[in-house]
Parts: sequence; structure tokens; C-alpha cells
Amino acid sequence: MFSEQAAPTAQGLLAPPSAEPPTFPRVPVSGYSDCSQPFQLGERSFSRQYAHIYAVRLAGMRPGLERCARKQWGNDIALRKLSELQAGEKCCVVGTLFKAMQLQPSILQEISEEHNLVPQPPLPKYIQPSDELMLEDELQRIKLEGAIDVQKLVTGTIVAVYGSEQDDGRFLVEDHCFADLPPPLPWNGPSSDRFVLLASGLGLGSVSGEALLSTQLLVDVVTGQLGAEGEQSCAAHITRVILAGNLLSQNTQSRDTINKAKYLTKKTQAASVEAVKMLDEILLQLCTSVPVDVMPGEFDPTNYTLPQQPLHRCMLPLASTYTTLHLVTNPYQANLDGVRFLGTSGQNISDIFKYSSMDDYLEILEWTLRAGHISPTAPDTLGCYPFYKSDPFILTECPHVYFCGNAPHFQSKLLQGKEGQRVLLVTVPDFSATQTACLINLRDLTCQPITFSGFGADSED
Amino acid sequence: MEQPRRITDSFPRRLRRRGPGRPPGRLKDKKDKKDKKDKDQDKVQAKVRDCSCSPSQPSPDPALLEMLRRFDLSWEYGPCSGITRLQRWERAQELGLSPPGPIRDALLEHRDNP
Repeated sequence: MFSEQAAPTAQGLLAPPSAEPPTFPRVPVSGYSDCSQPFQLGERSFSRQYAHIYAVRLAGMRPGLERCARKQWGNDIALRKLSELQAGEKCCVVGTLFKAMQLQPSILQEISEEHNLVPQPPLPKYIQPSDELMLEDELQRIKLEGAIDVQKLVTGTIVAVYGSEQDDGRFLVEDHCFADLPPPLPWNGPSSDRFVLLASGLGLGSVSGEALLSTQLLVDVVTGQLGAEGEQSCAAHITRVILAGNLLSQNTQSRDTINKAKYLTKKTQAASVEAVKMLDEILLQLCTSVPVDVMPGEFDPTNYTLPQQPLHRCMLPLASTYTTLHLVTNPYQANLDGVRFLGTSGQNISDIFKYSSMDDYLEILEWTLRAGHISPTAPDTLGCYPFYKSDPFILTECPHVYFCGNAPHFQSKLLQGKEGQRVLLVTVPDFSATQTACLINLRDLTCQPITFSGFGADSED
Repeated sequence: MEQPRRITDSFPRRLRRRGPGRPPGRLKDKKDKKDKKDKDQDKVQAKVRDCSCSPSQPSPDPALLEMLRRFDLSWEYGPCSGITRLQRWERAQELGLSPPGPIRDALLEHRDNP
């Protein structure tokens, strides 16, 4: 594990200063390539409708799903479109799921005067027993019932259902299957221990400064300024730091300035300005020593729709002079030392959490991998750019590390696939709440949490 | 459906009044529906469009337009609104839906006429 890397000749802190202070060179950067081109938007046009992204998603995932369906239910099953269904015939249909939810916030209902409704307050979960699932393909839709978990599934998932159409026009499902894990990538991982530090939810700019000490401790550990030579030699094995979103706290998002009169707000500065300055200073300390990838999150100053574009480097004048700072998109995909990382800042997972009965972030993360799509709820309840040519959120290759940021706790699991895929699923906890970051060992795909706290029984791992 | 923007951007204002009569074969054309909508502003553009077609061909072949319309309305290639026919054709090609080749040739031949 991490602390076993300590150099054997290391001295403790209670030793006289040695004549020649030993230096621990950081393991050199090798083999980094950024694979998140599909998530980078060039010129953006919002004049398109979202029907395109659904059409492309269905057309793109249909072949894979038909293959999975044949593998699961036999080669001779009938694959039908909804328009070709005949009552009572057992067949398989591939389509997009739509969940009709009563509690789903609908802007049309809110602004409709005839209902006289007060806007619904945000709820943690919008599921209800009366929700219904419908399957849509290119032309028609049909209601589903039967062996399918209505509470668990969310709108936008592409699924293959096997069953038959009933006389009342509903489809009785006997079994269903998803796209399953995408094909595996070859493994070129390093042979020696190399660590990547994953942290998310730094939450700078919040009213309480409790997390600031922990953030500074994190920076000190990574740059090797903390601990005796043992810890410093361990820290030299960290090759990269990935900050997965929510660098700014939710408090910086106050929209009072919009509602207040102009004369009251003229001289006030947005809270995010101070927070970004703090972020710049922290990143400066990190960048002088280790490559850093900064992903934007829900509360960061970038666009709201997925895929979020990188933060602009003019906001970070001190840190952006270093080439070790990489401002990347959310979701982010890259090859680090031959290991493919793919992850988001957590908006996709928390959106599925709101509309599904699944409670565990790791379970949702695994489910999105099995469904073959990073964020199926994307245009419906989560903002998304209206793609028309291809859906970049479809998983075409299986990453080695799949993470999501801003989860309530740290969890990790090594998933083994049927075709030899090995994926490490990591839910990175919110640093401002838990003061915990994750260290991933690239050699054997293990993960351990590292907690920084100023006071309390927990010491550093 | 074409965006009104695309027509207005590409053609300069050259003439002042609309042509005396439109060829009857194009009456049902989508582009003509656009003409009726933008009558006041785009009289000029409509005329210009007629003119710009004319050096290459007197008017687009009605059979060609019919073929393009069928391509637009065929559901296999996805929604047709908001993207040009060529973009839709390329997308269908990449998804492996094998759209008919003559459509692409026709679209490339009349590049100035979406």
C-alpha cells in the first residue's frame, strides 16, 4: 500500500538534521495522452432539437444490444421493431426507456396558470410507486410491465426487452438486458508502483474554512513538504493529481445579485472571484511539483450542460503558466501510463440517484457501466449539448479506472467482466465534507482512501 | 426544414423585385413554403436564389426534389430538422444505415442550394 513505499533508510522526524538532506525525485511522467476529444465542443449551435441525440443513441447502441440479446436468449429470437409487433408473439425489441414520473419537475406544469401550482421544492428522490415505464423506438412507444424493475431504471437507457405484446396494448416483459460492459482495452500498466491522487469537492469559497486546513495538508503531502523522509519518499510515487470537480463550493453560487436592486449590488464582487483566487494559489503549489488535471464540476465557472468545457486559463493566471496544469473537460478520459481513466464530476450519478431507487453511488456507477452509457438521463433531466452526429457518452471501450466525483462516501470495487475486462470503480468523496481523497495504484489497480484532518483520532494513512 | 438564416446569409441582395412567375413544378416545394413565409423580407433572396440556380440549370429537377423530400421524411435516418441534408446523409453513413448514394451526389452538385 502507499505507506509501504517508505524508503528503508528513512529517518524519523526526531532525528538531528542530516548533513546531506536526501532528495526523492518524483517518478517521471511517462505516457500521458488525453483522450477526451469527443467531449470538447468546438463551435456550438443550440438551434437543434434533442431528438437527434436520442436517435443517434439508439442507432449507435442497437447493434451491440442485438448482439447481447442473441447471446442471452439464443440466436433464433425474433428481433422486431414496435411497428412490427404482433399480439402474443414472443420477440425481442430494442428501444429507449422512458419513465413517466408524477413527481418529476415539469416546467410546463409550473408555469401553467390553470393549475395554480407553487413550484415544487427540490426533493432528494422523485420516484413514486405509480411511475410507469415505456419503451420507445424510432416510431412508436409501448408501455412495459412484467419482469422489469420500474423504480430502478431511468429515462434514456437503451434496453432490449424480451416478451410479448398483450391484448390491451402493453408489452409483457419476461426478461431484459443492457449493453453490458464494452470491449476491453489492452493492459499496458506500469510495472512499478505509481499512484494517482483523486480528489473532488474541494469546496473553496465556502463560508466555513474548516476544509482549508485539510486542503493545505493535502497539498503539502503531495509536494513532499509534510512528514519525515519516509512519507516524502512515498509521496514521490504520486505521478498525477486529478481534481474531479466542485472546486468551488455551493456558497459561491448565490444568485442574490440578480434579484436585488442594482444600487445594492454595484460594489459587491461575486463570491466566486475570491474562491477562484484561492484555487489559483492552491493549484500553483501543486503544479510546481506534480501534473494536475482539473475537471470542472457543478458549481464551477463553466457551462452548465454536459460535457462541461475546461475552465478558462485566464481565471488561473498564476498556475496556468506551468505546463503541468491541464484544464480538462467533464467527463474526462485519458491514458495515464497505459491505464485508461474515465470519470465525471458526479452530476450524472447524482441525477440518476434522484430518479431511481438505487441508493448506493457505487451501485449506480456500476449500473451505468453495464448499461453502456455514461449518463442516460442526459437530455431529459440533466443538461446536455444537443449533439446530432454521435453521442459521445456511449461507452465504446472499457476503461481501467472509472470514477465519479462528489460522492457522499469513498467506495471502490474491482469489477471483472466476462470478456476479461478489469475495471476499478471508484466513488471519490466530497473533500469539503469528508476530508478524504483517493490514491489509486496503477500497477495493480488498487485504491485506498487518505484522510486529512486537523484534529481527531484519524491520522494520515 | 431549412433555416431562414441559411438562405439570407449566403445570397447578396441584387435585385429588387420577385420574378414574374415561379415554375409550376416547384409549387409544392418546401423552399416555396419558405418563400411564402418570408415573403416580405426575402423577396429579394428568393429571386436571387432563382437566379443563382439558373446558370447551372434552369430550375432544380422536380424529380430530384421529390427524391430529396423522400430522403428527409424517411424515418430510418433519424430526425431531419435542424441539420442540413448533407449532414444527415453523412451521419446516416457513419451509423451504417447505407443511405442511397445518388442523394449525396445531388447534394454535392448543388452545394449552394441546401
